[in-house]
Amino acid sequence: MTRILIFVIACACAVAVVALAQPAPASAGWCWPTCSAYGYLGPGTSTNTGCWYSSGEVCGYYGNWFNVGISKTCYPGCDWNFNTTGVVLYGFENHDRIRGRYTAKGAETVYVRPYELGMSGTLRAQVTWYGGPASQLNAAGIG
Amino acid sequence: MSGKRKAAVLLVVAALAIVAAVLVTRGRASQDGARMSNRGGPAIAIRGLRMKLAPISSGHLLAVRHGRALYRMQLADGTPCFGAGRAADLGTPGSVVCGHGGFPSGGDPVLDISVYEGTRRDVRELSLFRAEGFAADGVAAVHFLRPNGDVALSIPVSGNVYSASNVPHGPIAGVSAVDKDGKRMWRSP
Repeated sequence: MTRILIFVIACACAVAVVALAQPAPASAGWCWPTCSAYGYLGPGTSTNTGCWYSSGEVCGYYGNWFNVGISKTCYPGCDWNFNTTGVVLYGFENHDRIRGRYTAKGAETVYVRPYELGMSGTLRAQVTWYGGPASQLNAAGIG
Repeated sequence: MSGKRKAAVLLVVAALAIVAAVLVTRGRASQDGARMSNRGGPAIAIRGLRMKLAPISSGHLLAVRHGRALYRMQLADGTPCFGAGRAADLGTPGSVVCGHGGFPSGGDPVLDISVYEGTRRDVRELSLFRAEGFAADGVAAVHFLRPNGDVALSIPVSGNVYSASNVPHGPIAGVSAVDKDGKRMWRSP
């Protein structure tokens, strides 16, 4: 019963925090899967847009990004510490490298600016499946 | 109330107390690894966060290490956030993590915000670009592990933060936390 309650609360929190990862309305941006929905990022997921990895990655177009953020839910389940078993890497990439930070947390909102990753210039915002089952998340980049 | 009924009530109360204690401590016998003694300095203004509905306006500087500033912040609803940025640009974190589960907790004594890098498209093998993060009381060092489990880098924790000026080349497959006796407290993944 308690686990169900925590799961319900976690889902509610996740729904609440998805908005936090959204770019400001007036900003040019990239969202995945859309700016108001969650998608499942697993080993077979791809935007088919020439991302660093041919599968298991979603990425935006090349541009000068201000930041990229994700909101990840507890799917397929969170433990007591809101950890899921799905690990993702979020950050940026260019023609030479992909950089980012890992997270496996559900009900969490994160964002990072390119300079934090030691990157600048024309980049692609990216979120990559790294391990475990698919993660349910919303990704957004502000240009 | 009869003796049997009193005993039954006491039994139920005791059971509820045990359940509550387990929930509060999340099953941990100890609170070690669930606190951060470093509360940071006085509140400072936080600028440059362009996240819709994320009204972080102030935070506390926990430490400056190797030219990096590490912050503790909070959303208006009380959700704790942690961030980092250039020390030369204090008050302007370049990255933020806001977790509704809170940090730290008994089973989660490390919040690693290290940056990883990959230069090969055919394998998901990432190395460190920068190593830094936050750790709960009781964590003496954070270890970065090779795929075979060897320790590639050990960073001592001071003031609930860790940071390295240099990182080794080569693949990193996990992070672990050890206490002052070198006993592993946590590992991810």
